[in-house]
Amino acid sequence: MLPIALDPSDLRPLYLQIMDELRRCLATGALQAGDPVPSVRELAAHLVVNPRTVLQAYQELERAGVLYVKRGQGTFIAPSALVDRQILAQDVAQRAVLDARRHGLTTAELVRAIQRTTADEDDEPLVSALGKRQGVRK
Amino acid sequence: MSGADAVRTEALSKRYRRDTALRAVSLRVPETAIYVLAGANGAGKSTVMKVLMNLERADEGTAEVLGMDSVRCGPQARAQMGYVPEDARHPYGWMSSSQLLAHIAAYHRSWDVSYADRLRRTFELRLDRKVGTLSKGEARRLQLILALAHRPAVLLLDEPTDGLDPVVRSRTLAVLAEHLADGPTSVLVATHQIHEFETLADYVGILRDGSLIAQLSRDELPNVVGRYRVEVPEGWTATRELRSAGVRGNPVREAEWTLVGHRGDLIDRLTVTGALVHSVRPVSFDDAVVALIAHQVTP
Repeated sequence: MLPIALDPSDLRPLYLQIMDELRRCLATGALQAGDPVPSVRELAAHLVVNPRTVLQAYQELERAGVLYVKRGQGTFIAPSALVDRQILAQDVAQRAVLDARRHGLTTAELVRAIQRTTADEDDEPLVSALGKRQGVRK
Repeated sequence: MSGADAVRTEALSKRYRRDTALRAVSLRVPETAIYVLAGANGAGKSTVMKVLMNLERADEGTAEVLGMDSVRCGPQARAQMGYVPEDARHPYGWMSSSQLLAHIAAYHRSWDVSYADRLRRTFELRLDRKVGTLSKGEARRLQLILALAHRPAVLLLDEPTDGLDPVVRSRTLAVLAEHLADGPTSVLVATHQIHEFETLADYVGILRDGSLIAQLSRDELPNVVGRYRVEVPEGWTATRELRSAGVRGNPVREAEWTLVGHRGDLIDRLTVTGALVHSVRPVSFDDAVVALIAHQVTP
């Protein structure tokens, strides 16, 4: 099973969280173009979520061109599925900003803290050290 | 969602001698919904299920399952229902588990033998023992098999994970998610373990002292329960209304509460008292249900 998990402290709708997790798998290389994704039944049982919620996430991703359904064979990552790193980054940023607000921080304070934290890093994806598959590019 | 209801009660009332168990309960479980029925002990959750199963008669009102009256069409309705009762003991304690399974299977044309066997293996249940000698957890697992194996259109689950160890608990919930994916099933589940159904539920109803005080879809929940961060002027005290919505204590400057009530109304009520609402955040399903049980939805 894919490294997909839900964060109980994430209060966004579940189908959005599942969409994010699949996009994350694409970004880390755990999923690549042409790969099958788990059936609705499998993923529902794995995450213990309402199968309808998984179906909703899959339908949204199909609409977005990330997934396609081969009738009778299952659901697959579309060949043209590009890892939209911008969307992914946007989501991560949104969560960070929400968390900062909850702690009474301003956006400027958060941005400065990120810059300080990453001052000595080059711009390499954090996952590259973990990515065993070649799909992870610099 | 289709317009039909899988379960529908109309002004159901029930008294046990002088105790009122249900007061005019009108509950609706839409088809294929997973409806969590929550409430304190004795709030009437099990009574609703028993009336639906026609194990108890209501004094007033009607109960329907898939459009069939639970009294007049009892057997036809029950053929389409899987029921896990609150009481783990089965009346046929003298039978072995395998005899009981065969006995119940004979009543259901839709009994799925291979599925029953798969469930038995998933639940690691031995079938040679007498039903009456099973532990609470074993009896629960047997009941789950009995309820699921004929693939009923409607499941009534009364504390389905009660008495199960943590491993079997999570396995049971996964089995349930899989079961729902296999065919259209409507579920009414009464439970204190709200968090277990957090990711499965799409409707919630709250019973308090026999009255259904709230009934909402999951999407409506954030409009009715929220976490309010509020700044208050010096010497501020809450109105009675605000207290019944969940405001606690006599805060100095700032406070945070989980409040029950429509967002706009609550903000108005707070603003009128001189308080300033900084933010309203969503709360988890679990926290929302606990708040609904404890507080009033202000009309």
